[in-house]
Amino acid sequence: MLEARDLTIKYGHRTAVDNVSMSLEPGVVTAVIGPNGAGKSTLLRSLNGSLMPNSGTIHLNEKPLAKFSRRAIAKQITVVAQEAELRFPVTVLEYVLGGRFVWVNSTTWGWESEHDLQVAESVLAATELRDLSSRMMNELSGGERQRAVLARALATEAPILLLDEPTANLDLSHQATLLGLVRERCNTQSCSALVITHDVNLAAQFADIILLMKAGKVVKAGTTKQVLVPDLLREVFSVDVLVDAHPISGVPRVTPVH
Amino acid sequence: MTSSRQGNRNRVTLRRTLITLLVLLVALVIVVGAASLLGSERLPVSNSLCALTTLGTRQCGLTSDQFDILFQIRLPRILLAAAVGGSLATAGASYQALLRNPLAEPYLLGVSNGAAVGTMLALLFFGSLEWSRPLMAFAGALVATLAVYRLARGRVGATPERLILAGVIVTTFLSSVIVFVTTLMDATRIRSFTFWLLGDLSGANTSLLPVPIAVAIIGAIILTLNARSLNLLMLGERDAFDLGVEVGRVRMTIFLVASLLVGSSVAASGSVGYVGLVVPHLTRLSVGSDNRITIPSATIGGALFVIIADTIARTVIAPRELPVGAITALIGAPLFIYLLKRV
Amino acid sequence: MFFSSSRPSKTVALLLLTLMSASACSRSSAVLNNPSTHTRRMLDDAGREVFLPDRVDRVISLAPNLTEIVFAVGAGRRLVGDTTYCDYPIEAKTIEKVGDTQHPNLERIIALRPQVVLVSTASQLEVFTEQLRNHDIAVFITDPHDLEGVFRSIEQVGEIVGNAEQATALVSMLRGRAAAVDNALKQSPRIRTFYQLSAEPLYTAGHDSFVTDLLKRAGADSVTANVPGAWPKYSAESALAARPDAIILPTGGSMGEGNGTVAKALAASPAAKTGRVYKINDDHLVRPGPRAVDGLEEMARALHPEAFKR
Repeated sequence: MLEARDLTIKYGHRTAVDNVSMSLEPGVVTAVIGPNGAGKSTLLRSLNGSLMPNSGTIHLNEKPLAKFSRRAIAKQITVVAQEAELRFPVTVLEYVLGGRFVWVNSTTWGWESEHDLQVAESVLAATELRDLSSRMMNELSGGERQRAVLARALATEAPILLLDEPTANLDLSHQATLLGLVRERCNTQSCSALVITHDVNLAAQFADIILLMKAGKVVKAGTTKQVLVPDLLREVFSVDVLVDAHPISGVPRVTPVH
Repeated sequence: MTSSRQGNRNRVTLRRTLITLLVLLVALVIVVGAASLLGSERLPVSNSLCALTTLGTRQCGLTSDQFDILFQIRLPRILLAAAVGGSLATAGASYQALLRNPLAEPYLLGVSNGAAVGTMLALLFFGSLEWSRPLMAFAGALVATLAVYRLARGRVGATPERLILAGVIVTTFLSSVIVFVTTLMDATRIRSFTFWLLGDLSGANTSLLPVPIAVAIIGAIILTLNARSLNLLMLGERDAFDLGVEVGRVRMTIFLVASLLVGSSVAASGSVGYVGLVVPHLTRLSVGSDNRITIPSATIGGALFVIIADTIARTVIAPRELPVGAITALIGAPLFIYLLKRV
Repeated sequence: MFFSSSRPSKTVALLLLTLMSASACSRSSAVLNNPSTHTRRMLDDAGREVFLPDRVDRVISLAPNLTEIVFAVGAGRRLVGDTTYCDYPIEAKTIEKVGDTQHPNLERIIALRPQVVLVSTASQLEVFTEQLRNHDIAVFITDPHDLEGVFRSIEQVGEIVGNAEQATALVSMLRGRAAAVDNALKQSPRIRTFYQLSAEPLYTAGHDSFVTDLLKRAGADSVTANVPGAWPKYSAESALAARPDAIILPTGGSMGEGNGTVAKALAASPAAKTGRVYKINDDHLVRPGPRAVDGLEEMARALHPEAFKR
């Protein structure tokens, strides 16, 4: 379980995250939505220890995050971010095996074991990349690369997933598949997930909790029905919306009104 | 990590790594042997081979002069060439992985010139103390590295592009310092300094020979132990951090060890160029980019490269000698152009 | 002048004016090159025709050996500039410095208004000859490769400064000393010798070096006499295999106290083992000037002590 209390993070004079408290429980998918500059990515980055908060605390399993070593954190928390530069050639399999870094130990002389390979194979299957496993990463399409990034994060077997706009480059079918995969993981293996997304409806479909952020503050945290309310959405996004229920699933559906 | 060729090559395993290294080591032994038979003085082949294989315990019919030439002059020089080549190639390969830039190499990053300035200061002020040279070279390399890092660190952090840029600035500045210092020297010293600055392995028969050899081996081992971290760092510092790499610690280790490698090479033989650039590239083309195999292979590859270059340098206009750096540049530059075209 | 208000014509006019004055300048410099005052014509060692005034009062030397020669022919007072390395005789140190042999300061040379500049290698030539010629300064190149060449340089300098008699007398005297050495060594066998210019890296005297001639005259069989070049970097193996019976270490002059020990490759040579390692003042060996005969005598005495016992 990952918990943040009274978190404040500043860049110089600008306050990016303002006194935010939230927690990620096992089995719960939390979506973070809000306009650009709301502090969503900053919050995510602080949760895995990349950014030091100016004030406030983060606790992982009741212990302060600062007391964990890098490896220990990486075993518990994994990040799916926008994929980085690929300056050196690497195959999909090797890329995904990178997620096994914290698990490969001295008994195998620093080389991947059979178990590591099995884990890699299974996440590749889950993300529908098995056929592409020996292709070069830079030969893949944007969407395929994004799935490889998720596959690598899943390969770490960390129970807490932090995803920063994981569906940005994906087509409709893969958007649903990817988030469905995250959802399923959290259901079956009790992992927690934090998903930053611009797609409010996608968030509504897959998330248990939604954090609505603006200018560094959490304006509202709650279930989709509690958060996806026209007044709140207008206050945060400065746009009028119509909220109705999805005809099949009953999940709130947000449509901007022009 | 595999090469950029159409990618159905298998991933690197421990077994493949060991086999590759074994093959390279065998090649190294053969090349050392062959180089020992070549030089400005002709030595009888079978007698020399006999003496070499018995590791100098038996004279095998060589005259005492021939024996001395083989074991006091040639072999130390070949071993120094191996150490220098191995050190520079390993440092180059590590810099390229850490900085995510295939152009990173000790000279471009100012490290070689930093070591050269350190060595020159040692020669000028502590001339008689042999130990001062590798120590001051290491200090110079380290200072240059830190200066480059400081210079490159803006608000965005030391991105690979900024590091290369800062490196070029520092290296050209230090080049001017070197030119300045040499013009202040008298004519005879200038000649020997200029030769040394281009790379000169003739100073191999000193008591300090074990130093560059030990540094090369230990440095290569330490950097190979960090190979997995480097594999992840090659794909982005943030990603590596997220996946559990202690980025700051690894970066500091690479900088320190690489400075040590470059420092000990430059102190012993001046600036031998192109090794840190060309050998890692050739290695990656042959065995792939997984640093677990690339780094140790580059070490042996670098040794082979410089032994061959030095053998040419000391035989082509015998009994005169050319600076080995001239040969590595003559081979390295066209080779690098060719490599650039392929990738 | 045809005045026009349009810009292009003004530019063209300006351009024409510049070109005309430039050609006028070069014409006048051509005149300056052969003024009626420069009637003497001499051929220098680079085969160039050099025009000199009848009387030369102001000379600049761009090499230590040439400075020594100028003083030796009695024209030291007329030396108005020399290099930072010119340190013999002692008066040479007080002469105004115009830079060093490789990088002379052109402005300072011109400011000193010499009539002739003495140069010892042709490599400096392209850099400044044209400029100096425009200022009516003659450049004379000397390039001695052996002792005979030195004698010729002394006579040339003597003629330039108008002290031909003194120069001839000096050359006679030096020739005499060289001949005396030659005589003394008639019965002596040649000694296998290695000339070590520096130990690390190992440099020696090659075929084109001035010292090679001195070594030959001093009764030495220089191991590296036929190696191409003047100061080649030499292979340690070949030095070891050469087994020289004597080693010459130039040191103590401009080189300072360095080069005082034998290179490692020669540590087991017959020369080192029998202690036949001789330190000779390097200024007596590498400066093609009067003191070269000193160097010759010193080497001869060191190598063949028995021939000089009286």
